[in-house]
Amino acid sequence: MKKRNTILTIGLLLLIAFGLTAVAEEGDVQTEPVVFAAPALITSIGQSAGAAQARVVAIKAGVEAMYVQRATLEDLEGKGTLIVVLGASSKGLGAAGVDIDGEVAWATELFDKARELGIGIIAMHIEGGSRRGPSSDLVITTFAPLADFLIVKGAMPDVEWTADEAANGNEDGLFTTLAAENEIPIAYIDTTLAAVDVLIELFDIQPEG
Amino acid sequence: MIRRFRPAPAWIGVGLLIVFAACVAASAVEPTSHDVRPGYGVDDVRWLSDYLPALAGTPGDTPIYVLRGDDSGGTLLLLGGTHANEIAGVMAATLVVERAVVTRGTVFVIPHANNSAARRNNGAYNATTPQWFELTTGGGEVRAFHYGDRRTQPEDQEPDPEVFVHGPSGLEFSGSEARNLNRNHPGDADGTLTQQISYALFALVEQEGVDVLVDMHESSLTSRLANTLVSHPRAIDIASFAILDLEMEGLALKQEVSSEEFHGLSHREFGDHTDAFAFLIESPNPGQEASIENPDVVNDPRAPLSNRVNLQLRTIQAILANHALLEGTATSIEFAFPFELSDLLGANLGAFLR
Repeated sequence: MKKRNTILTIGLLLLIAFGLTAVAEEGDVQTEPVVFAAPALITSIGQSAGAAQARVVAIKAGVEAMYVQRATLEDLEGKGTLIVVLGASSKGLGAAGVDIDGEVAWATELFDKARELGIGIIAMHIEGGSRRGPSSDLVITTFAPLADFLIVKGAMPDVEWTADEAANGNEDGLFTTLAAENEIPIAYIDTTLAAVDVLIELFDIQPEG
Repeated sequence: MIRRFRPAPAWIGVGLLIVFAACVAASAVEPTSHDVRPGYGVDDVRWLSDYLPALAGTPGDTPIYVLRGDDSGGTLLLLGGTHANEIAGVMAATLVVERAVVTRGTVFVIPHANNSAARRNNGAYNATTPQWFELTTGGGEVRAFHYGDRRTQPEDQEPDPEVFVHGPSGLEFSGSEARNLNRNHPGDADGTLTQQISYALFALVEQEGVDVLVDMHESSLTSRLANTLVSHPRAIDIASFAILDLEMEGLALKQEVSSEEFHGLSHREFGDHTDAFAFLIESPNPGQEASIENPDVVNDPRAPLSNRVNLQLRTIQAILANHALLEGTATSIEFAFPFELSDLLGANLGAFLR
């Protein structure tokens, strides 16, 4: 089933590459391929450790990226893409000295600045079901609809999830709903490392040599 | 009128009780011994008191097993039994001592980091947990191991304060946490027994130039901490790489980073006060689930001990592999077993011991 999910993900990416989106309805087809520009700024919204994993994913994908756990507006200067990893950690928020409301206010400014600079935004949720809950869901429902592309480690609609149950971040279909309602392309992955292939496609990384 | 104190029968009884308690305390000063059988990989056995002589002859002293590789490299310190009821770490450390061979670098293993806690189970979180658990070797021998406690034994240390204040940070905990080794780091050479144990561990890390430290813990089955790798912020890249590698091998771990505010924990304090990359692993232990009566801490199918030991050791291997990848081979550490770690899954752990 892992292979099945991966195949579905790759199939989805092929659709994207041909200029379609995962949620486009008939007559509303996006004709431009979804391509994001490097360098990327990777940061966390909710201060979980997922952003550090996204950095590893970017390194493995060959995407030039800067990782800042809690980025500043200045960090966006010169960047082509903002990659946000959604997921709240009380420990992480405590370490940053903010509460969830302060985090949402800060991230809103970050998104506004990214839009002002014309920077594309990828939102990722790669820590599975353990990174769901009231605070995480507040972050997800606030910022996922504002992204240009969603990557979620979780089950596709109508596809059985056979990986570790705790790794399913989309058990309730929240990301599917948000993507559909806001017409945002979405890639489903069954392992965090599968996001490497997604980034390779999204950043149009060509093999070396 | 001057009243003079005259011994009464009641006072004599109290006096006898004090003498009896003193005798009990005196009989408990020797460090608890354990069934650990060093294998061919062990080059040297030391005591924690080698790093703080004041610990010698106290219940806090504990053996340190040293395994050296032929190739030079870095130094790893493995801690089991910081909480002596969290037995996957104790047994993972024991398995390293009995069966592992180091090929690069040096590995220091302490199976019972808080040896006072290992002496007796006081039933923290679950009063129906055992005092001992047994494993049967491949040869049919039944070996018995202590199922210890979370904290230093009360009689080994001065009475708990009402509020335990973590000295360096000023953080306040409940009084019993004065006996929790993982709230006392970085310790105090002149402090309580628990603080002295911590201090000696820090002295070891400094004197031996430890590059990587892994503190092996367990949580309840339902805890948010179950199946988690915690790292100091300096070690976050190594942890992230390790977690992705493990995920590809079918082992899903959550990742956490040391809180800036929560002090006294190993990953925070060793990371802050030494050059070591500090990690803490949490596997799920049915014995820490308050709702399970008479938990089977070895064979519960939800989390068999062999699987938990597998999780601890594979995570350590992933940490070391990525430490080498990110920091270079000069400080890399490698060790191996004469079996595949995946062989442990669902197996009888005793068959892998000596």
